[in-house]
Amino acid sequence: MEAFRQEIILGAIVLYMALCVLIGLWSMGRTRNPGDFFIAGRSLGPIVVSLAVFASTLSGFGFVGGPGLVYSVGVSSFWMVVISATAFGLGFFLVAKRIRMVAELRGCMSIPDVIAARYGSELARLLVAVTIVLGVLGYLATQILAMSVVMQAILADTETFADISLLSCVVLSSTVLVFYCVTGGVIASVYTDVLQGIVMMVAGFLILITAMQAFDGGLREASEIVLADDSESMMPFGAAGIVTSLGWFFVFGIGLAGQPHIVTKMMMNKNLADNRSILPLSLLGYIVSALLWISIGLVMRAVVVGGGAEPLAQPDDAASTFLAMFASPLLAGIVFAALFAAIMSTSDAFLNIGTAAIIHDIPRAVRGRPVDNELFWARVTTMILAVVAAGFALFSYYRDATLVALLGAFGWSTFAASLFPVLAIGLNWKRATTAGAVAAVTSALAINFVVQLAGVTLPWGISGGLAAFVTSLVLFFAVSFATPPPTLARDIDRMMEI
Amino acid sequence: MDRILVWDIFAVVLAMAVVLLLIGMVEAPPNAAGVAHETVSAMQAGGDGASRLESIGGLAFAFQSLVLLFAILLCVLSVSPARRSPVFLGWMAVTYAVNILVWQQMYFGHQAFLETGETGWFLGFPAATAWQVYGVWFAGVVLIAVYSAGFRNYVLSEDDELRFEELLREFGDSRD
Repeated sequence: MEAFRQEIILGAIVLYMALCVLIGLWSMGRTRNPGDFFIAGRSLGPIVVSLAVFASTLSGFGFVGGPGLVYSVGVSSFWMVVISATAFGLGFFLVAKRIRMVAELRGCMSIPDVIAARYGSELARLLVAVTIVLGVLGYLATQILAMSVVMQAILADTETFADISLLSCVVLSSTVLVFYCVTGGVIASVYTDVLQGIVMMVAGFLILITAMQAFDGGLREASEIVLADDSESMMPFGAAGIVTSLGWFFVFGIGLAGQPHIVTKMMMNKNLADNRSILPLSLLGYIVSALLWISIGLVMRAVVVGGGAEPLAQPDDAASTFLAMFASPLLAGIVFAALFAAIMSTSDAFLNIGTAAIIHDIPRAVRGRPVDNELFWARVTTMILAVVAAGFALFSYYRDATLVALLGAFGWSTFAASLFPVLAIGLNWKRATTAGAVAAVTSALAINFVVQLAGVTLPWGISGGLAAFVTSLVLFFAVSFATPPPTLARDIDRMMEI
Repeated sequence: MDRILVWDIFAVVLAMAVVLLLIGMVEAPPNAAGVAHETVSAMQAGGDGASRLESIGGLAFAFQSLVLLFAILLCVLSVSPARRSPVFLGWMAVTYAVNILVWQQMYFGHQAFLETGETGWFLGFPAATAWQVYGVWFAGVVLIAVYSAGFRNYVLSEDDELRFEELLREFGDSRD
């Protein structure tokens, strides 16, 4: 079996991608209007929504960057994972019920739609839509690049594709993604999320079992080795220290409720009462999948500091080196398929919300109505968005990484800082004003831009995202209190009473 | 009640900002956010843990306590004032207490290790880290249990669903 390692891995990936294509074809017949394309006609059951929520949350970062971070800074990075229960809980308390209600009450198809309905402001809609487009480009470019680099590494080890170029890998991997997103819109996206979620859970569980067997003494032996080498790395705040760790807790935990690709899924369930089961199911899926993050990183750090392997060239090699050292070809195939699943499940969510922002929200904010024939233009824009993001990815790889790094800064922490106050608090606090919302979004964007562009390093490992998040919260409340109370639309006012 | 609650939340946010500012004003030791590992490239080490907690440990403890309070208060805000019964508020208090218990066990467990160099173990991790890995997850699960088990009492009762359906009937024609 070991002699056919690369072929088995490749087979698993091809099988997974073929299933994604089939789901795209199946979904095509069910996508008849923009509502189907963007929010699946609010017709999904609790299991589908649960898997879609958690699969969108765990991106390729969880499978590559996450283990790499544990390898690099030890337990510090655990904070991004262990916060998940509180994060999902808070997100559902604040957002799930009300966003679903606004969506049905006003026929909303996107987060900017919800913002416009809540604040009665096209400026707020425009700001949020632009923030989403910028974030989507950065996120998509990095995800497509990650997917292509992994694909090239796998194919390069086979005889037939030994010389395959990165461009070919970008085209190959993006084609599958674009195919099912264009044909089936969000319906294909969420049903592929189901497949992707299952693959990720299986991989997470099997990797934990494998990691526990990497040392005779199990995870405790791995922990003891890391502790003996540098005790802080194995203590709760890790090598990165207490402020960085707590910053990650805050931005990744509290900020989950401001992630557009996740909360959009909360608009799609058929019944409001399904939220009661969607929450625990989402968390269960996330925890099982994220076991991979913790276990691979910890074992690889222990193996290297214990002298069992050469130091890795870069932390992100942790997962692939672990698989090469400890996993059977079949398990490696499942994990690589899960990696593609993690990347694609997040990418399809971003393609969907980015398309909605471009053809639905920005035109509405600027000229008061969406484009004609929205479904057709949604499909065209999905393709263009993917091509532009792939172009960014290639430009970043071959020429200059600055642009993608800059757009990448519009990732999780910017969404958290700009959208959490406006959306998660705004849906629950009638006194929040448009001026408060605009202040929160613009301050979040400005701080993240300045920190990124000027390369500002804050003391104690305080991240720009944390500083932006706390500032935007302060401004959101302060400006709302300082401006006259808003007059809410009657339906929104009464909805917020429920 | 909402008004007082929101002012409380704003006060917590301001306090978080002040604590963060105070942390930023304290001179950081070289290993505040980690240093390069002595022998392994592309790896960070924490170094002397006591020295980097000495000046800001208390502030960081306060910051996290405020963050947890912020999260719980937001959950209270999300529930309709009519449904914020003493039982619900009691459950929120329990959730906060569990979170604080886990946080202080983790923080002071780490402090104890720094002083003695000795630690107990639980399911593969040193005691303080086990509080982080298992405790933080468990504390969040309490919040989820309140949401799911108390869904019909606090989040969305059957009456609420009827009210929403009435709202849909009334405003259905005025949708954008």
